[in-house]
Amino acid sequence: MKTFRKYWAIFEITLLNSLAYPGELIGRSLMILPFMWIYFQLWNVTFKASGTNVINSMTLYSTMWYLMMAETIELSRPALARTISDNVKDGSIAYILNKPYSFLLYQFSNSMGETIFRALINALFGSAMVWWMVGSPPAPIGWLFASIAILGTWILNFCITCLIGLSAFLVEDVAPFMWIYQKFIFILGGFLIPLDFYPSWLQVIAKALPFSAMIYGPSKLFIQPSWALLGNVLLLQAVWIIALGTTLLISYRRGITYLTVNGG
Amino acid sequence: MRELKFLLAVWQANIQSIMEYRVAFLTQVIGMMLNNFIYFAIWIIFFDRFKNVRGWGIEDMYITYGVLASAFGLVALLFGNAFTLSEIINNGRLDYYLSLPRPVLLHAIASRTIASGMGDFSYGFLSFALSGQFSWDGLLRFVLATALAATVFASFLILLQSLAFWMGVISNMVGLAVNAMITFGIYPITLFDNYAKLILFTVIPAAFIGAVPAAFIRAFTWQTLAELLAGAFVFLFIAVTVFRLGLKRYESGSAIQIEV
Repeated sequence: MKTFRKYWAIFEITLLNSLAYPGELIGRSLMILPFMWIYFQLWNVTFKASGTNVINSMTLYSTMWYLMMAETIELSRPALARTISDNVKDGSIAYILNKPYSFLLYQFSNSMGETIFRALINALFGSAMVWWMVGSPPAPIGWLFASIAILGTWILNFCITCLIGLSAFLVEDVAPFMWIYQKFIFILGGFLIPLDFYPSWLQVIAKALPFSAMIYGPSKLFIQPSWALLGNVLLLQAVWIIALGTTLLISYRRGITYLTVNGG
Repeated sequence: MRELKFLLAVWQANIQSIMEYRVAFLTQVIGMMLNNFIYFAIWIIFFDRFKNVRGWGIEDMYITYGVLASAFGLVALLFGNAFTLSEIINNGRLDYYLSLPRPVLLHAIASRTIASGMGDFSYGFLSFALSGQFSWDGLLRFVLATALAATVFASFLILLQSLAFWMGVISNMVGLAVNAMITFGIYPITLFDNYAKLILFTVIPAAFIGAVPAAFIRAFTWQTLAELLAGAFVFLFIAVTVFRLGLKRYESGSAIQIEV
């Protein structure tokens, strides 16, 4: 319980910090508006050109709300890999390692504090825009199921971005890994195009990978909530959290043995 | 001519600086090319499923994405500080450039090379080669269109970031506008109605880095060439004028700045 309180306190501090600059918070979230507008143009034209209101069980309405949730998740992800990589490269990791808490749990609490309000404001702006374009949001149960699944998304994102950040122990620059990770989210996560529109062979591959559990799962639960889908998404997330979490722990322990910090 | 020699010397120093870390440079170049390739795969999937968007097909996307990537990469390579000019203004780092007998704006923006720009620049040519519309005269048009699109993009960055002289910290607005510029530049222009197109030729001149150069590369017409030239010169003129006006308001701080 005492351990939990420690990390909760770190989470609270970062959460309050993120509210210290409301202009910054709102300014960042405005980015969702042009994105939603351009998606609407694209999918409106696409549905009209197809001559049908339903494509692979998706309508313009459900596609837009799906994309709003996907965009909210993606735009709220903290730049944790860069933070950890900077900590490793400039040696400031040493100042965290000698404190009475776990480096990984510290980073997790910290990143959660940064994420929560960013996600809420993104969802607020994105929802207002999509509501205006295609009508009212899906049923409240969709919000609930998506919120549960988003917790899994954040844990998965933490595992992957931490692994990328810790790779700074071995390589000079981790930015290319971040770009490629982001693009895997885009393409295999169903971020720009819902996976339902993919060819079936690619759907099978994508739906087995962690990226779909991070974006497609919560977004699909938002527009078509069901207990069966919730179970599938949470199971896939749990499997990948165990696999990636174990890899992260092993990598972290090995990375620490590489660490050389110069005083000064 | 004198300024060109100066620019060449600055770029040479930049290249020597990034080549100091060759592995990091190569990782960034290859990583960026891979990044672009994976991103473009989304459009391959989209057009495989929906074939075309109001007459805009995958071949058009290859060319549009190609010219935009190369133009973006060219600006990152040659004028890397254009991406952070507002921070330079706000942090009082223009002092360094003001104290030297060279054009302030040119010196400031050319003083950094972003290594990943080489990945974007190269990928653009690859994308054009894969478009199925490659020809040698098309390649010449691609090079010219890239140079003009890069001029518009660099001018847009300078114009936007120069607003820091009046507005102070504007990093959020810059991020938003640059993202919008690139996103609107990549998407098929046939999606937009006339009002939106007006915005894409003026406030956010994304048409000049995507659709217009792509049309010029596909087939030469005097009209598209004139549009590209006019776009490049008008935006460059406005950007330089706004920067000069802003510079009159510049206030240096007492902080000690070290330019490496």
